[in-house]
Amino acid sequence: MERSFKKEVQKLRLGAGEIFHGEGILAVTKALLQSGVSYIGGYQGAPVSHLVDVLADAREILDELGVHFQPAANEAGAAAMLGASINYPLRGAVTWKSTVGTNVASDALSNLASAGVRGGALIVIGEDYGEGASIIQERSHAFAMKSQIWLLDPRPNLPTIVDMVEKGFALSEASNTPVMLELRIRACHVHGSFVCKDNKAPAISRKQVLEKPDFDYGRICLPPATYAQEKHKVEVRWPAAVEFIRRHRLNEVFAGRHDDVGIILQGGMYNTVVRALQQLGLADVFGESAVPLYVLNVTYPLIPEEIVAFCAGKRAVLVVEEGQPNFIEQAINAMLRKTDVQTTVVGKDVLPMAGEYTGEVVLTGVVKFIEGAVPRGVDLAAIGAAYERLTRPKRRAAECLGVPVPARPPGFCVGCPERPVFSAMKIVEREVGGFHVSADIGCHTFSTLPPFNIGNTVLGYGLGLASSTGVEPAFGKRVVSIMGDGGFWHNGLSTGVANAVFAKNDSVLIVMKNGYTSATGTQNIPSSGRNVHNEKVDMSIENALKGVGVRWLRTVRTYSVGTMVKTLREAFTTKEPGLKVIVADGECQLERQRRIRPQIAKQLAAGERVVRTRFGVDDDVCTGDHSCIRLSGCPSLTVKPNPDPLRTDPVAHVNQGCVGCGLCGEVAHAAVLCPSFFRAEIVQNPTRFDRWLDRLRRRVIAALSRRAGPRTAAA
Amino acid sequence: MTALPNRPITILVAALGGEGGGVLADWLVDAATAEGYPVQSTSIPGVAQRTGATTYYLEIYPVRTALLDGRRPVFALTPNPGNIDLMVASELIEAGRAMQNGFVSPDRTTLVASTHRIYAIAEKTAMADGRYDGAKVVKAAQELARRAILFDFARLAQQSGTVINAVLFGAMSGSGVLPFPRAACEAAIRRSGKAVESSLRGFAAGYACAVGELVPLDEPAVTRPRAERPVDAVRRTFPPQTHAILEEAVARLTDYQDEAYARTFLTRLEPILALDRQHGRGDFTLTGETGRHLALWMSYEDVIRVADLKTRASRFDRIRSEVSAKPDEPVTVVEFLKPGLDEACAVLPPWLARRLLAWARARGLESRFNIGMHVKTSTVTGFLLLRMLAALRPWRRRTWRFLEEQTRIERWLAAIRRHAARDIDAAIEVAHCARLIKGYGDTHRRGVRNFTRIFETLVEPSAVALTEPLAAAIRRARDGALADPEGETLDRVLAQLVQASVPADAPARGGAMQVAGE
Repeated sequence: MERSFKKEVQKLRLGAGEIFHGEGILAVTKALLQSGVSYIGGYQGAPVSHLVDVLADAREILDELGVHFQPAANEAGAAAMLGASINYPLRGAVTWKSTVGTNVASDALSNLASAGVRGGALIVIGEDYGEGASIIQERSHAFAMKSQIWLLDPRPNLPTIVDMVEKGFALSEASNTPVMLELRIRACHVHGSFVCKDNKAPAISRKQVLEKPDFDYGRICLPPATYAQEKHKVEVRWPAAVEFIRRHRLNEVFAGRHDDVGIILQGGMYNTVVRALQQLGLADVFGESAVPLYVLNVTYPLIPEEIVAFCAGKRAVLVVEEGQPNFIEQAINAMLRKTDVQTTVVGKDVLPMAGEYTGEVVLTGVVKFIEGAVPRGVDLAAIGAAYERLTRPKRRAAECLGVPVPARPPGFCVGCPERPVFSAMKIVEREVGGFHVSADIGCHTFSTLPPFNIGNTVLGYGLGLASSTGVEPAFGKRVVSIMGDGGFWHNGLSTGVANAVFAKNDSVLIVMKNGYTSATGTQNIPSSGRNVHNEKVDMSIENALKGVGVRWLRTVRTYSVGTMVKTLREAFTTKEPGLKVIVADGECQLERQRRIRPQIAKQLAAGERVVRTRFGVDDDVCTGDHSCIRLSGCPSLTVKPNPDPLRTDPVAHVNQGCVGCGLCGEVAHAAVLCPSFFRAEIVQNPTRFDRWLDRLRRRVIAALSRRAGPRTAAA
Repeated sequence: MTALPNRPITILVAALGGEGGGVLADWLVDAATAEGYPVQSTSIPGVAQRTGATTYYLEIYPVRTALLDGRRPVFALTPNPGNIDLMVASELIEAGRAMQNGFVSPDRTTLVASTHRIYAIAEKTAMADGRYDGAKVVKAAQELARRAILFDFARLAQQSGTVINAVLFGAMSGSGVLPFPRAACEAAIRRSGKAVESSLRGFAAGYACAVGELVPLDEPAVTRPRAERPVDAVRRTFPPQTHAILEEAVARLTDYQDEAYARTFLTRLEPILALDRQHGRGDFTLTGETGRHLALWMSYEDVIRVADLKTRASRFDRIRSEVSAKPDEPVTVVEFLKPGLDEACAVLPPWLARRLLAWARARGLESRFNIGMHVKTSTVTGFLLLRMLAALRPWRRRTWRFLEEQTRIERWLAAIRRHAARDIDAAIEVAHCARLIKGYGDTHRRGVRNFTRIFETLVEPSAVALTEPLAAAIRRARDGALADPEGETLDRVLAQLVQASVPADAPARGGAMQVAGE
C-alpha cells in the first residue's frame, strides 16, 4: 500500500472523552466503530481510499470488537454486501468513490433499497467533484432520488460528520432504508478534531452469531413483493424518515438580523457560504451570520414544513446547491408554489449551473444575490467595494503575466513501468499509421495527456476491451484496447476478455500488470500475490486469460521497448484469429522504490557491493530537438539552458530524480533518436578487483588520450 | 469579543507531487495544535500527487482555543481570492499560477516562493525553446505581493541534504506570518520523527533567508567558458560586437577540423560583413548571427564528431560529477549508438554513398540498416573503437556528407547575400533559418525538408507578393516549422502566405507588399 496507517490505527482505539485529531475520512472510520457496526466493505478510490486502507492495517482492533472487514472486488460487490442488513439487525457500512462507484453499485443498490433494511445500512460516498477530481462530473443526488436512499450532506467539520454517521444508522433503522453519507474531496481530507466515544462491539458478529436464517418473501425482489415494496417506500419509509429528520433536527437553522432574505444550502457548502459572508462583513469569524441560514445536512428527502417555515415572510432566498440538475431548487419552488408562499427563489441564476462551488464562485453568487435582493439595512456600496478589492489582484495578475502560465497535468511517475508501453505504441504508430485505442481507467489513462495523447475513448473501469467491440469492425486494421490489472479484476476479465473470446473478436488487448491498483493508492489485487490481510494467494492474470480461452498470449517486460514494438507489430499482423493479449509486465515504480530503498540502504551500510544506475545526456552532443522527451515525458527527463555559447535552444537533461529504469536508452535505440544518451553504472562499495580494474582502465585510456593529441585534452 | 481578530490566518501551499507538501501541512497542524491554536488543513491530492500540481490549504485562528470559551471559528475548505495571508509556492511557475488565481494580493499576502524551474511538459516537448519567461513571474510577484520572499529554495534544500518542504517551512516561520515562534515549528519537526536532523538543517537555512541573514547564491552560470584566445584574423577584420561569437567559432572549427577550415569560415563571412556595413544598422546583427549559425553548421554532428566528443578526458570527469559518484567509486559509461545508412554514408566518398543511398531508396530500405550498439567507453576496447572513428577526421573533407553540407551552406549564404542588399531584416531571418537543420537521423531529415520548403516558397523566388513584410513571413514560417514534428503547422502557415500571394507579374493587390526581384 502507498501509505502505512499504523499510526492512524491507534486513533481508532481512542475512548470516551479523548480528542481525535486527524483526517475527515478517518473520523468517519472511527464513527463507524462507535456506532457498533458489524461489517464494513468497500472499493478503494480517491477520496475514500483511506477508509479501506486504515482498516486493512487495523485487523487487531476489528477482531477485538468482532467487526468483519472485507474489501470487495468492485463497488457492486460492496453494495451487495449490505444485503446482510435486509433480513438481520446488523449494522453495515460500505464506501466507494462516487459517482463512478455508485454507477457500478446501482444494480445491488436498487435491490437493496427496494427490499428495505432491518439493520442500519450506511454508504459512505466520496463525491469526486471539482478541483482534484479524476472522473466524469455528475452528482450522486439522482441515485438517492430514484431508489429512495436518504442522502446526508453534513457540514464539513469533524464533530458534525461523526454525529451524522451515528444519526445516519439510526435514520436507516427508523425508516428501514439505506442511507448515503456524501463527503466532498476536501471534506474527506480535512484535518480537524472531535471528542470521541467508546467503540461499540456489534450485537451480532463472529462473537455473537445468529441462530437461524430469516425468510420473508416480502424482502425478495420479485413480483408481487416488488409492488408492495415500492408502495411501502413512499407510504411508510418516507414519512418515517421525514419524521425522524425533523424530530432529531438533522437540518439546522441559523437566525440572522437581515431576516427579509435567507440562504438555503447543502451542509457541505456551509463553510464556503459563511466565508463569503465573512468577506462581505455579513458574518463573524465564528459563523454568526447577519443573513439567516437553513442548512440541509440531509439533502434528500427534503422537509417541506421546515422549508416553508424558513421562507415564509422572506422576500427572497438564495439556494446554494452544487452540481446539476438543480433538484433541490426545483423542489423548493414546487413546495412554495403548493403552499402559495410568494418568496422569490434565487439559485442557478446567480450561481453557475455546472462546476464546483469554490470560494470565489460562491462569493460572486452571494454578492449578486445581495445586490439583487437588497436586504433591509445592508450597505450595497460597501459590499460592492469589498468585492472589487478582493477580485482586483486576479485581474491585475492576468495583465502582468500576459500569457497564462503553462498547465501542469498529472502524468506517469519517474520510471513508471507503463510509460514505455506508450513509447512503443508511438513508435509503432510511425510504421503502421494511426490506430484506434480504447483506453481504460487507471494510471495508464494518463496516456491520453501530453506527450503521448494515446487513447480515443474512455468508457469506464475495466471497460477498455468491451468499449472496442463496437468500433472494431469499422476499421480496416485491428484496434487496440488497454486494461490495467486493477480494471482486469474489477470486471474486465468477464465483461471484456471472456466475452471477446466468446464473440471471437479479432483485436489487440494490452493488460498493464503493475501489481496493484496504483491510481487509488497501490492496494493489493488478486494478482498481487498477497491479499488485504497480507496472506499469500496464488492467482495470476496469465492463468485467468488461458482459463477463459485466450490463445495468443505474450508477456513482455514493459521496459524492453524494442521487444514491445516487435510484439505489437506481430499482434497487428499475425494471421492468428481471435483476441491477441499482451501482458505488459512491470511493477509500479512507487511500490518498487518503497520496497528496495530500505534494502539498498541496508546493503550499503553493511558495506556490500551495490551498482547504482543513472542515465545522462551529453549536452554537447544533444542538439535540443527534444524528440526523446516527446517519446517519454518522464519527470526526470527535462531540459536545461544550453551550455554551448553558440547555441540557444535548451538541451535535454536527466535530473537527480532518475531511478535508472532504462527507458531513455531503450527509446534512443528503438526510435533511432540520437547518440546523446549514456548510462552510468556507479559501483558503490567496490571490491578490490573493481578498484584494480578501474585504475587499470583509467591509466590506459589516459595514455591513449595523450597519444590522440591535444584535442582530447583541450576540450 | 470585539477584541478578537475577525478572521483566521490563511495559508495556501502550492506544490508538486512528491515534494512533501502533505508533510509540511502536517508540521503546521501539529505546531498549531501543540501551541493551542484552532487549526484546519485540507488538500486535494487525488491524481495530482502523480507529478501534477497540487495544493494544501490551512487556516489558523491566532487566539488560543482556551481563550474562546467554547466558541469555534468556522474555517473555510477552499482558498478565496484576495483572502490569503501566506502564499507558498515550491516552484516559480506555481507562484505564477497562484497569482493568476487571485491568491496574491498587495494588501495582505506574503509570498514565499522558490525561483527554480521544474519545466511543464508543454515547455519540455517544444522542438526548439518552449520555456515560459520566468522573469515575468518574478516581476509580477514584486508588484502583487505585500512582501515577496523569493529564493532558489530547491538549491538550498539540496545543499542542506533535505527536501524542499523543510526549507519552505523555515522561510514561512521566518516570514513572521505564523502566530507561533520558530521553536514551535522545530518542535513539530522533531515530533514527526522522520529525517529530523536534515529537516532541521533545511528549516534553519530557509528561516535565515526569510529574515535576511542568508542570501543563497544563484545557480552558477552553465555556459562553458569561451575560448579566450584572441584571434588576429577576427580582430583585424571584424567589428568588436562580433568578436566573442567569432572567436568562439574559430576555436570550435579548428577543434572540429583544422585551421584551414576555420579560415574558410572567416572567408565565407567577409562578404556578409561588407553587406552588413553597407546596409545594416551598425549593430552587426547579420554578421554575428550568420557567423554563429555558420559555425554550428560547419561543425555538423557526424560519427567522427560524436566519437570525438564522447572520448574526451574532460567528459568522464563531467559524468562523474553529474551522477555524483564518490572518488573511489568506479563508473562504467555505456553509450547508446545506433548508426544506420546515413551515418555510414556520411563518412564514405560521394560516388559510393550516392549509389548506396539510391539503391536503398529504390527498395525503401533507408532506415533498415541501423545497428544498435552498447559501447562501453569506459573500457579500453570501447574507448579505442570510438577513438578510431574520431581518427577519421582528416578524411572528412572527402566524404559525401561534407560535400552535401557545403553545398547547402553555400545556397544559404547566397540567399543571405541576395536579401541583405535590399532588406537587412529579411536577410537576418534567412540566417536564422539555419536553426532548423540540427540533430540526427529523422530529426535531421525533417529539418532539411522544412528548410528547403521555406527556401523554395519564400526565400528563393525572385518575387513573392505577401500580406506582411518578408522578414515577418519567414519568421512565422520558421516558428511554424518548429511547432510540430509532423510539419502540419508549417503547411498551414505557408498555405496562408501563398494564398495571399499573387503571380509575380501581376500588380500587387491592395495591402499586398511587392518584393522586387533582382
